[in-house]
Amino acid sequence: MSSDTRTATPPPPTDPTRTRRAGRRQQTLACVTLLAPFTALLVAVFLVPVGYAIGLSLFSEDHDGLGFGGGETVFTGLRSYLAVLSDPSFLSGFGAIALYCVIFVPTVVIGALALALLLDSGLIRLRRTAQMLLYLPHAVPGIIAAVIWLYLYTPGLSPVIKLFAEADVTIDFLGLHTVLPSIVNIALWSGLGYNMVIFYAALQALPREVLEAARIDGAGGVRTALLVKVPIIRGSVVMVGMFSLIGALQLFTEPMLMNQATPMVNSRFTLNMYIYDAAFRRNNYGLASAASVILLVVTCALSFAVTRWAGRRERSAK
Amino acid sequence: MPGQRHLVPRQATSGRLVHVPGAALLMVLAMLLTACSASGGSDTVEGGPVRITFWSALRGSQEMVDEYNRTHTKIQVDFEQVPSGDQGGWAKLSNAARAGNAPDVATLEYPQLPGFAIDGVPRDITDLLPDSVRAKILPQAMDLTTFEGRTYAVPVDIEPMVFLYRKDLFTKHGIPVPKTWAEFESSARKLKEAEPASRIASLFTTGGTLAMAGLVWQAGGKWYDTSDETWRISMDDAPTRKVATYWQRLLDDDLVRVEPASSQQWRAHLRSGETAGWLAGAWAAGSMMASTPSGKGKWAIAPFPQWDPSKPSLGTQGGSTFMVTKDSKHPKEAMEFISWLVTSPDALRAKLASGISSAYPAVPDLVPVARKEMDTSYYSGQDIFGLFHKEAELIDPEWKWGPRMVSTISSGDDGLARAGAGSGTILDALREAQQKTLPDLKSLGLSVTTR
Repeated sequence: MSSDTRTATPPPPTDPTRTRRAGRRQQTLACVTLLAPFTALLVAVFLVPVGYAIGLSLFSEDHDGLGFGGGETVFTGLRSYLAVLSDPSFLSGFGAIALYCVIFVPTVVIGALALALLLDSGLIRLRRTAQMLLYLPHAVPGIIAAVIWLYLYTPGLSPVIKLFAEADVTIDFLGLHTVLPSIVNIALWSGLGYNMVIFYAALQALPREVLEAARIDGAGGVRTALLVKVPIIRGSVVMVGMFSLIGALQLFTEPMLMNQATPMVNSRFTLNMYIYDAAFRRNNYGLASAASVILLVVTCALSFAVTRWAGRRERSAK
Repeated sequence: MPGQRHLVPRQATSGRLVHVPGAALLMVLAMLLTACSASGGSDTVEGGPVRITFWSALRGSQEMVDEYNRTHTKIQVDFEQVPSGDQGGWAKLSNAARAGNAPDVATLEYPQLPGFAIDGVPRDITDLLPDSVRAKILPQAMDLTTFEGRTYAVPVDIEPMVFLYRKDLFTKHGIPVPKTWAEFESSARKLKEAEPASRIASLFTTGGTLAMAGLVWQAGGKWYDTSDETWRISMDDAPTRKVATYWQRLLDDDLVRVEPASSQQWRAHLRSGETAGWLAGAWAAGSMMASTPSGKGKWAIAPFPQWDPSKPSLGTQGGSTFMVTKDSKHPKEAMEFISWLVTSPDALRAKLASGISSAYPAVPDLVPVARKEMDTSYYSGQDIFGLFHKEAELIDPEWKWGPRMVSTISSGDDGLARAGAGSGTILDALREAQQKTLPDLKSLGLSVTTR
């Protein structure tokens, strides 16, 4: 966005070649020092586990015939991958996640953006209090939030359902078609406030002269928001959208808990739940690893696609 | 369902210990001792007894172990209470086996045994199991723990299915106790007519696949067939379709109540009479006494309804086995302990002293012991063990469980829940369970075909 921070003037050179070489060495040192912690963490918590998972997915237990008496670990090639891809429950997990993304990502991005624009426009009084109240749900750990929501969703316990029932409205939050929106709702509460803070921070950094120019040109509040503010903070919007997408692909906590409460959320409802179920309930580590690798590839591909698409939009906009 | 009888009143036990300083001191000493033996690196003290470890979720296990340790000197057993299978017990056991610290002896239920055997957790005990013990066990139970002629576990109880029903309601309205499935349906209609709030039985969602398996088993179905050295899977064979269509009709005509087994909701219905019957393994008799004390004198147990009374047949629901693990350093001693657990009247008495149990022993010789210990006034003095004994003879020996039943059961239960909510059918649920099980078996490299 702004490049003026980077153009600090260098000190006047004394001996050009020596300082350049020393400078380069210093630069390399700085690079290494600054990158080392990140690289170490990347290797330890990402590359090594990914490599291990790929290994587990290619080498797995093999059996003959009925398989009694134990098997041996051999190279099984793509067998686990073929098994995962032919598993209807994995594919339906994909379906559930796709639907969840389609509902959740636009809702959370647009919702958070709308809240941030409202706060920024000064229409809301007690701005700090509002900001804190909106951010508060994010401070509640996901599992706790899910427990609270589950209480509100369960017939016989929920005061909400009771209230509706008194008005003669039967409402089933855990039904066949309502259960996904119910999960989206849980995720929204924690997601909205957090993303709103990101948008709000970006809006605060907007150059005031641009907004002034818009006002002088006769643009109203809504018009300024949609045609001036939003395009300028597009970078944040893309980032929030992408993070929400990646988070959505890894949906686990909320449905895992709801699995205990309603048969409409089965034990392989989302991709991450499928992986957990394969590894720890079906004791099939090859299958779990193959599914994990597939999820990783899909996540990377989607992130790449979103970045490329946003980049192209930006270039064509210019 | 079976999980229910595994609930152990642990808190009560430890709570009692706290109040007795002597016992607390002993416990500390015992802990110190086990800590010492563990840090010693060897579990055999020179000249001392062989120590073996035992994991179980079965109620009464601690009492049985105490009795064993009291009466035996050469082998001493360290017992650890583990969660019941679906509460994490299976995962705990397979993870321990993966990590190489599985116990010497562990409890498995019949449906889970093939899966564990394929994963190489239990030891092949064909040559270890004394013939004298083998001969005492009901052959149908032995068949369920034997694959390709090799035995992997020793049955402790086998649970023929029976029909528990509210005798008072049936008598009051002159409803006949059904002997066949056709009569079961007409009795169901009569009951609903006479008591509009009441239903003859439940179609279970959670726990429903195992109950359905027992029904299919009786009808002569074979979800898994291993006769050709390959897993032939068919969860929609002709007998399964017959059973599923029958239950679908009961469901569609609102003659059975849809509810999860072992749930609060279901128990409340049993108490109120809104659910007036229960189709389950023999163990259910004891479970009913413990969980529904107010039903005393109201309930009775009938033989399971038959498809063809001239050719009676039966399936089971529930039941457990003991296995020696492959990693065990003392397989012989482990086997000795298991033989005692399964065949000794002392073991059974110790178990029954810990609480009500109507589990039907896999060793028929023990039935008189169980019968003597059981106070059947709840069932108006009915000779329930005599009934179980007759029913156990009818168990069809052809049934085999599959290699990944945990997965099959949970998928089937999900489908049954949807069928109960009006989306899809019972048969769809079973077909889907098969579809969702196949990838697991294929990825294990097993030879699999569907018929």
